[in-house]
Parts: sequence; C-alpha cells; structure tokens
Amino acid sequence: MDTQLSRDLKRLFETRLNSAMKMYLETCTRCGNCLDSCHVGASIPEIKYTAVGRAEVIRKVFRRYFKMQGSFAPWLGEVLEFDDGTLERIYEAAYSCTGCRRCMVHCPFGIDTQQLMSIAKALLIGADKEPKLLSMLSDMSIAKGEGIEETKASYAEAITNLEADVLALWPTAAEAEGAFSRPMPLEAKGADLLYVGLAGAHSIVPAAAIMNAAKERWSLSFFEAVNFGAFVGDSRKMKAIAQRIIDEAIGLGVKEVAIVECGTAFRVMRHFMGKQPFKVIAFVELIDRYLSQGRITLDKSKITEKVTYHDPCQIARNGGVIEEPRRVLRALTEYFVELRPTKEENWCCGGGGGLVAMGEMEFRMKSSKVKAEQMRASKAAIITTACENCHSQLSDLNEHYALGMKVEFLSHLVAKALVRPGQSYRL
Amino acid sequence: MAEYTTLKTLDYKGLKCPMPIVKISQELPKIAVGEVVEVLTTDPGSLSDFPAWAKTTGNAILETKQESGLIKIYVKRQK
Repeated sequence: MDTQLSRDLKRLFETRLNSAMKMYLETCTRCGNCLDSCHVGASIPEIKYTAVGRAEVIRKVFRRYFKMQGSFAPWLGEVLEFDDGTLERIYEAAYSCTGCRRCMVHCPFGIDTQQLMSIAKALLIGADKEPKLLSMLSDMSIAKGEGIEETKASYAEAITNLEADVLALWPTAAEAEGAFSRPMPLEAKGADLLYVGLAGAHSIVPAAAIMNAAKERWSLSFFEAVNFGAFVGDSRKMKAIAQRIIDEAIGLGVKEVAIVECGTAFRVMRHFMGKQPFKVIAFVELIDRYLSQGRITLDKSKITEKVTYHDPCQIARNGGVIEEPRRVLRALTEYFVELRPTKEENWCCGGGGGLVAMGEMEFRMKSSKVKAEQMRASKAAIITTACENCHSQLSDLNEHYALGMKVEFLSHLVAKALVRPGQSYRL
Repeated sequence: MAEYTTLKTLDYKGLKCPMPIVKISQELPKIAVGEVVEVLTTDPGSLSDFPAWAKTTGNAILETKQESGLIKIYVKRQK
C-alpha cells in the first residue's frame, strides 16, 4: 500500500474519533459477555465472528496510529498497519456484521459494534474496497432523485395499472371525490401522510388498501425507502438518498412520513436525519394506530394456524417499535406465539447490513443457523415480520433449512383480514 | 418505434427489493456490448430505477412498455 493512501486512511479514521467512538475503542474489558451475542459467532464459533473479535481489528489499527505505544513502539503490542491484509480483515469484520446491535444489549459498557464497523466501512470506501454493488445501488438512488421528473408520468401509469389490485383488497379509495379519490394518490396536495414504499408492487398494494380502509388522506412517494448509502456506510450518500424523500414530504406539506416495512429505511429517516417538519413512523405503527382508533377492524377467522413474529433489529431493538406489532398481531389472530428469545433479545435474521442485496447466500445460511433453530423451535406455521430485508432472509432460511413455514409480511396479513362494510367477522 | 433485436428475455416479475437492479447488474456483463435484453417486471418503481441505473452505469434504456401491470424494459449494454 502506498504511503499516501495510508496517510489518507489515517486521516479518515481520525474524522470518526468523537468521544463516543473513543470510549468504544478504549473501554472493552474483555469480559466476554458479547461472545454469545452475535448470531454469526453463535452459528460459526470463531472469535473473528464475535463482537469483540470484529472490534479488535479496528482497535488494533487505532492503537497503531492514535496511541503512543503503537506510534513509537508498535512491536510492543498488538497493532495493525494499513496494508492489503489489514484491509481484508477490516472487510471481513464489517461485512460479517449485520449491524443488529444485539451485542450492545449485552455489553456492560454499551459498546456499539455497529458504530465501530462504521469506521471499518468508511476505511473500505477510502481504500476503494467497499462492495461495489452497494455503492452502485446508492448512486442509482441518487440519480433517480435527480431525474425523477422525467419518469413521473410512466410511474403514474404503472400505479394506475395496479389500482384493481388495491380495490380487490379494499373496495374504495380513502375519499369519494377530490385528491384522495384514487386508490393510490400521487402528489396529493393536502395529504396528511406520505407513504414511502420499495421496489415491487407488494410493498404498495396492501399498504394502500389498509390506508384507504382507514380513510387516511395519504399520498404515495415516487421514491423507494431503502437506503443503500446506509448499508455501505457512506453518510454523504445516505443523507442524499433520504433527502429526496424529505424534499418530497416538505413539498407536499405532510404531517407524517410512513416508512414501508423496511428496517434500515425507517431507522435512517427516524434517527439519522435530524429534526424535520414532519414525524417519521414505521408502517406497523400506523396499523397499530388505526386499530386503536377503531379506523380498521380485522377478522380473526382468517388465520387458523400458529403465527410468530420476527422483530426486525432496526425497528425493534434499534428503533423502539416493539409492542405495536404485538398489538396488531393480537387483533389479527388468537394463535400468536413469541419466538424465544424475543423483542430486544431476538436473534437477527442474518440478512442485514447489505448482505441480502450482496447475495452471500452460503455465508448468510451458515451464519444464521441459530435463527433457523429459533424459528423451528417456535413450532409456528407462519412467521411474519415488518421488514423486507428480514422477509427475504427468513424466506431463504425457510427453504435452506426446510423449516416448512410460511413467511409473510405483517401488512399483507392485515390487508387480507380487513373487515369490509357489512361483512360478518370474528373479533 | 425503436428498431432493435432482443437477445433474450429476463423475467424479474414479482422480485423483492432490490433484486431487479441487482439482477440486471449481474446479467449485463454476460452479454456483448451493443446487445439488447428485454426485462419483464411488475415493479412500478423499475420505470424510474432502470433509467437511473442506466445513467449510473453508462448503459441505455431503449424503450419501456406497459401492458396491464406487466412492464417491459429494453436495456442495451453500452460499455
């Protein structure tokens, strides 16, 4: 590695050294509490797949360049210099971590491995060694924002072509006349809420039916909620991607932005984008509100099998949305059972941090053995979740480990159970 | 009407996020520069995603067609 790149990486590292990060780098007492916390380490028992093992790679670089001993007498302690081998170790640490932060729950000092891995990801970008697919997807999202006016008409046509699918789930739009008389309103001035979906009609149609049933004055975003800038650890791109949605929401003057079932998209918008003139909510929170306000009713006779729920890490442990999906599930079925462990302690699905998009099938399946075992132990026929990434990973686990479960989005179960006017149902 | 011959059809109907773009990114290097593929998708977002992807990667979208929920996108490898 040339000296200039090494200097650049050191400078890049230095820009990340705020007080919290220094505490994470200097405080670990090797207590071992995190050794069993990571689903990867629990599935593949190697120290490099534990939280402390990953953090240690970054700590060794920290010691080499920012501690007296490492700078003047590196031979005295465990340090890592920037070279190709170190970058390979940094890559393995960063992209074997899904950013679920389960280890942080168990760490007595609250050391945030995801934050430490944000240094790793920044260094990989600085060395031009990050996963190019994630950078390309980020760039695509930004380019989409720049050229959105050119494609709005064709998108609107595609949305019109999906109206019959929405009406099959709920027979009317939110209102009979005006801006909210279409099943999926676009650029609807006066909307209270902007709904942001993902690539795929499945992320829009059931949600539209639910919002129409609740008579929500809503508008559909032209953008996808997912944020690949966050996955690849590029904060500039992350903000540019989120800003497209912020500008759209401000332009419409909405009071709320509801994020599709996507954990990372929700966490970025709610926690990383600062104060905005609107509130950010996860779609499952919106469903819970509709139920509590009596704006929708669900027919419990639709589900006759045991259902369990996978808490998406970025929505539950890292987003605080834990009881809302449970209230929705109790309104939906009498057959809800918890996964064990559950809530803040739930095992990550193993697909986060960009791994699903990157493929990585062999690693994702091996590293999530404990998740598959947890799913099987629930004895549930259906596993539901509120995150696209988790849904993809749970579906892959279901097939790979022959679990024989049905993997469902929570919003899809809700949309199928909506009680229509005049319909008989069971509460 | 644009004139071109499609080498093959890629069926991306019903794929979840972000697979349509991931798959076209993996597929395009397998064909020669100048060749065209037809992508079938049901994702309304692909009508904005594919042009943005083409701009980002230096490829071209020759045409898009919509037929009652089915979207056809004609992608030309340019580099």
